[in-house]
Amino acid sequence: MAYVIGIDIGGTFTDAFVADESGKVAGTKTPSTPPDFSEGFLTVLDELAATLGVGTGALLADTHYIVHGTTSTLNALVTGDVATVGFLTTRGHADSIAIMNLEGRYAGLGADQVQDMVRTDKPKPLVPPELVRELDERIDHKGAVIVELDEEGTRMAIRELVSAGAQAIAVSLLWSFRNPAHEQRVGELVVEEAPGAYVALSSDVSPRIREYARSATTIMNTQVGPRLRDYLRPLEVELRSRGFQGSLLVMQGSGGCVDSSDAPSRAITTIGSVLTGGVVGCTRLAAELGHRNVISTDMGGTTFLAGLVVDGEPVSTTSTVLNQYQLNVPMVDVRTIGAGGGAIAWVDNGGNLHVGPRSAGARPGPACYGDGGTEPTVTDVDLLLGIVNPDNFLGGRKQLSKELAAEAVRMHIAEPLGLSVDDACAAIYAIQNAQTADLVRKVVVTSGHDPRDFVLYAYGGAGPMHCVSYAADLEVSEVIVPLGPTAAVFSAYGLAASDIVLTVELSSPTNFPPEPAEFNGAFFQLRAELEDRLAAQRLRFADVEYRSEADLRYTMQLAEVATPVPTGDLDAAGLDGVGTAFGQRYEQLYGKGSGFAEAGLQLITYRTQAVGVLPIRPKLGEVGRSEGDAQPTSRRRVFLDARRGWQEADIYDYRVLAAGHELKGPAVVEAPTTTVALPEGSVGRVDRLGNLVIRYTQA
Amino acid sequence: MSVFIDENLSQDDTGSVACRHCTTVLGVAAHPLRDARVRVTAPQTAGPSVRAEASHFTDREVVLRQTFCPECLTLLQSEIVPADEPSSRSRSVKVVGA
Amino acid sequence: MPVFPVAGSEKFANQPASREETLRAVGDSVRLHDVDHAVVDALDPLTYEVVRHRLTSITEEMGEALKRMSGSVVVTDCNDFDAAIMDEVGDVVQVGLYNTELAASLDMAANWTLRNRSRGRGINPGDMFLCNDPWVGGGLHQNDTSLFAPLFVDGELFCWTGAVAHQVDLGGASPGSWSVGATDVFWESLPTPPVKIVEAGEIREDIEDVWLRRSRVPKLVALDLRAKIGANNVAHERLRALCEKYGAGVVKAVMRRTMDDAESRLRAKLRELPDGSWTSVAHQDSARAGDRGIYKIVLKLTKDGDKLVFDFTGTDPQVDGLINCTFAGLRGGIMPVLLTMLCGDLPWAPGGIYRCIEIISEPGTINNCTFPSGIGKASVASAWATTNVATECLAGMLDTHPEHRKRLMSVCCGTWDFALLAGVDQRGGGFVTMLCDSMAGGLGARSDSDGVDTGGLACIPMGRVADVEMNEFAFPMLYLWRREEPDSGGPGRFRGGVGASSCFVPHDSPIGGVHLVVSAPGKALPLASGLSGGLPAGTQHDVLLRGTDVAAQFAAGRIPGSLTDLAGDADLLPAHHETDLGPDDVYYTHWQGGGGYGDPLLRAPAAVASDLRAHKVSQGGAEEVYGVVFGADGVVDEAATTTRRAALRRTRAGLDTEEVTA
Ligand SMILES: [Zn+2]
Repeated sequence: MAYVIGIDIGGTFTDAFVADESGKVAGTKTPSTPPDFSEGFLTVLDELAATLGVGTGALLADTHYIVHGTTSTLNALVTGDVATVGFLTTRGHADSIAIMNLEGRYAGLGADQVQDMVRTDKPKPLVPPELVRELDERIDHKGAVIVELDEEGTRMAIRELVSAGAQAIAVSLLWSFRNPAHEQRVGELVVEEAPGAYVALSSDVSPRIREYARSATTIMNTQVGPRLRDYLRPLEVELRSRGFQGSLLVMQGSGGCVDSSDAPSRAITTIGSVLTGGVVGCTRLAAELGHRNVISTDMGGTTFLAGLVVDGEPVSTTSTVLNQYQLNVPMVDVRTIGAGGGAIAWVDNGGNLHVGPRSAGARPGPACYGDGGTEPTVTDVDLLLGIVNPDNFLGGRKQLSKELAAEAVRMHIAEPLGLSVDDACAAIYAIQNAQTADLVRKVVVTSGHDPRDFVLYAYGGAGPMHCVSYAADLEVSEVIVPLGPTAAVFSAYGLAASDIVLTVELSSPTNFPPEPAEFNGAFFQLRAELEDRLAAQRLRFADVEYRSEADLRYTMQLAEVATPVPTGDLDAAGLDGVGTAFGQRYEQLYGKGSGFAEAGLQLITYRTQAVGVLPIRPKLGEVGRSEGDAQPTSRRRVFLDARRGWQEADIYDYRVLAAGHELKGPAVVEAPTTTVALPEGSVGRVDRLGNLVIRYTQA
Repeated sequence: MSVFIDENLSQDDTGSVACRHCTTVLGVAAHPLRDARVRVTAPQTAGPSVRAEASHFTDREVVLRQTFCPECLTLLQSEIVPADEPSSRSRSVKVVGA
Repeated sequence: MPVFPVAGSEKFANQPASREETLRAVGDSVRLHDVDHAVVDALDPLTYEVVRHRLTSITEEMGEALKRMSGSVVVTDCNDFDAAIMDEVGDVVQVGLYNTELAASLDMAANWTLRNRSRGRGINPGDMFLCNDPWVGGGLHQNDTSLFAPLFVDGELFCWTGAVAHQVDLGGASPGSWSVGATDVFWESLPTPPVKIVEAGEIREDIEDVWLRRSRVPKLVALDLRAKIGANNVAHERLRALCEKYGAGVVKAVMRRTMDDAESRLRAKLRELPDGSWTSVAHQDSARAGDRGIYKIVLKLTKDGDKLVFDFTGTDPQVDGLINCTFAGLRGGIMPVLLTMLCGDLPWAPGGIYRCIEIISEPGTINNCTFPSGIGKASVASAWATTNVATECLAGMLDTHPEHRKRLMSVCCGTWDFALLAGVDQRGGGFVTMLCDSMAGGLGARSDSDGVDTGGLACIPMGRVADVEMNEFAFPMLYLWRREEPDSGGPGRFRGGVGASSCFVPHDSPIGGVHLVVSAPGKALPLASGLSGGLPAGTQHDVLLRGTDVAAQFAAGRIPGSLTDLAGDADLLPAHHETDLGPDDVYYTHWQGGGGYGDPLLRAPAAVASDLRAHKVSQGGAEEVYGVVFGADGVVDEAATTTRRAALRRTRAGLDTEEVTA
């Protein structure tokens, strides 16, 4: 038997999913174990083996690879528990990481925070001033050396950094992506002057134009690289000692994974590791169900994440923002658009009701948890409206208090507004759903798409309680709630179903089109680099696919658009085709007639991605067919729609449903991991894989 | 009740304005800095931030005008302005009776 | 040539009109949608919040659409644009988070259009009006071009949407419409009062030709026109859907209540503050090339109960030059500070906020000038100075309150450091660009913390600067440095944010050099004043070094780290200047920080030490201004600091004349 395993370590839970070649799957979850997350990793493996009825050793011995989604890199950066980094850059430009293009004052903040401009600040400096040195050297925009590298000065700077406490060195020089000679020489000097120190060069980590983001990316990579190395090495040793002979793979923000030996040198690519599993899961499920365009909404206890799948592929971005710093990290575009079930409802001093963006977080959490939270949250409201069964939350693992929830709503919302608790809850529920629709819409529209061309997937503990309402507002065609065997560990399923993905890029800004030889040469170089790295992954691939793109822009316009480039050498006509494709994509994103073609085109960055398709693709098993109609297990009063008020609703236990069952709203489906609300006018049908497919006749 | 006019000044319910650092009375609501000490010097006295001589750019004399608490000498107001222009900076917080 | 009165220009001397005046002027030529107060009162919290949130998101979507479609660097990169939703008479319900001073005068333009364009060709569904006449409104100088569009629902004019953005060039004597020699508006771009450029959904080609003909970059201006049309179309589509779902009456009721809410909450905040008045002044040096004058805007802010009166009596008369602004500029200059310092937690609904303020200003003054005064740089000249003086007065008011003082800032970056480059780029193409590095000005100090270093400008919550590499790729230049400037933040117990400088040499241009237009005051005196005794930020400082040895130094393996490292003839540039840079000429431009807060001798010595390490202050600044003494190891010498501070207190007040030594 050959297994593949996905293990997703989040802040609260560690999820695991296993599949074998025959289509048999299983999943389990266990609490995460900060600060040493590897403990939970090993525990969940034991539990997974138990679920399959085999020993851990036997499971591991037959496991080809484990795909690991880890929050450790992100956690390290957020908490600041990182290596002490010394930074070397070109003379005159050390302040680039302090000026942060000025956008560092507000990047990544919500509109409410930006509006409160007086209280905005830049984050703590990435590197304290005593750990920064400027070097005499200069390369210009063509890659020409204007000032030779001062090697003696560089050696002295390295020694100073080490004696100031630097454990690792980040090097980012102007125009190093055009001509890496100076950076490479600095790298050699670091090896000579500070043997054994972790060193990263911006021309390796992120050879892309725009020094601020390139430097920030290189520095953060240097901060977390040693930490990731120190986490993965002992973990792998531990797995080997338990009989594991396969590959330990680490999920990246790009939605693909990389071998654990390769990960530390590009540690920064793993920051989106835990966010992307869900979107990858959606992508795989969408392929099974024949959906080309999917809006993925993951509403958990503390966050609301939204992502897109378009034409069967996750929508990606080439940059992200972390701690207000701009980073060059190609990753699946997963945006945090809200606080999930923890979003707090509040009344402003003008007597207006708001929901979020402030969150009760994991501690103290919603009032109904009884952990000290006194402010009303969306989860409290879901409970009071009858959607959540207080005895069946997290499969009964947590008992919820309606009294505490009602008290919070009464004190903070109902009384100040002169409403009944019921009406206050109904208003909060409706506001939360409408706001979600606004925010999801923004994600879709700013990607150049129309929500009406999408199917919406809703998962996470809280998503299915709200999805029909916000989906109807968005006018998407239907809603899928992924249930079935993968539901509890949907992200871990996504991990197990992923492939190796490596991305390399190189900025070489020029007017477009360049000479075909220059264009083809750039991609040839990227392809060669990818082939070397793929070979180093210690894996056999079922197939390898290459995808190339070029970031183009209109000369006067700043937005670069990643434009697909056909594989193989292109002639002049082929290049014209790339230009045309750019124009079409630009219009799709920004509107018809928006391109200023007269100004001409420029090519800024070449990029190629290799997908090493892994040999085992977990298959989802079918659930049994129904015989007869679905039988509700009970009825209770629920409030799902402000226009209809309290209604008697059928309550279904998901575990006794089967493929083909149809459930008419108003109804509630209680599954072990979530609860699905079906307002009047909507109909849910259980599909062959056990998912709930919801359509509605009116919003 | 007394109100703080700013970092350095407070005003009591009779309208008397005093230095918050040393309680010296400086003036009244209508003229909070009436008795404060004013000193006029060259703009460069403000420190290295005043980069070039004003005379490069204008024929009017420009000065640094600073106002201090006469007792504790805390700096209460600073302005760099044309010398021939009386200070336009003033304020008057309404007296709130007890 | 002195400014002379122009008969016939009175029509455009717009002042905000009341609702009643507007209705009278419109008569029955256009049916304006209205909603009964009862509907506003009956709004439930749910509907209000859902519709309000959607209006906000529509405004955001307009801004996104405009930004993405625009071809102007100042729009796409510097966020010098904005969008707004207005009610049927033009009152602004919601303004975007971009350049708030621009959107603050859209109401005047839409309202003027109602009063002056309802008859004749009329105002009909599918129409859009273009305006770049700052006497009418809709922008602060001619480069700010607005496009606003009435939305009709069931045959009634339901509301207006508007988009406004800075256009790179709309004609006039100098490139960029930045005529540094201008004495009046006839040197500058031609102001265009509201004209129906889109009729029944179609661009009127004849009008567009008239519009584009004046520009040095007509195709770019045409693209931006389409970007604004797109932004308005996006908003109309979504507003129509909103009206279908909730009913036009409900949507209008939410608009009314949003403005009422902003008004009543601002009034409530004002009631918490003591009554009083705060008077201050903002200066500008030089009105045009060759001018050595200094001009002042005086403001007396009176707070009485729940209203604010801005009285500009005492402000200098309008001048021959390009620095005046119209009444729309004055009003637009006030709004950004009202929003950031008083409305950080309120809806940004200027229509409601304006109801809490009254403005007293004499026409014919520098920030309420009459036609044909020059206003080519109004937005960053007298409107900006108006922002500065309003900042100081409002901050003084907030400083009286233990809670509200957390929302005050000293004056931010005192002016816009304008540097325009033009010439032939390294690929042989012509170019004209405004160097936007100086968007990274310092923000003013707060009452409890330092101002943000290189944190931006008061009027643009979300500014940006381009990377050095992007500028070097796009334009024929090579930077020696771009760095924060020590001491440029106003000293104080809390320090103003530092400004920065850029220093570059022409590089790789096929014609050897570049053309340079400089327009940056604040050289004779600093423009970002301090509060509570805090000192002003540093002065603007632009130096042109002619015929330097920079090439020789490069060849010798050195990068000059300061102007004194370079041989060459230093030319200290005046506020307004136009010249050419040769291949060995180095240009250094140093823009301003924010004003300080409190007595600098009260600043924690540890904070000064940390500033010194981070190059936010120089050793000299730390010792002379902050009175902090450091030991040989760079650690604060506490005892010596105490002694030095005691001595400094006396000398700076003129009590001891001998020099204090460290
Ligand atoms: Zn005193």
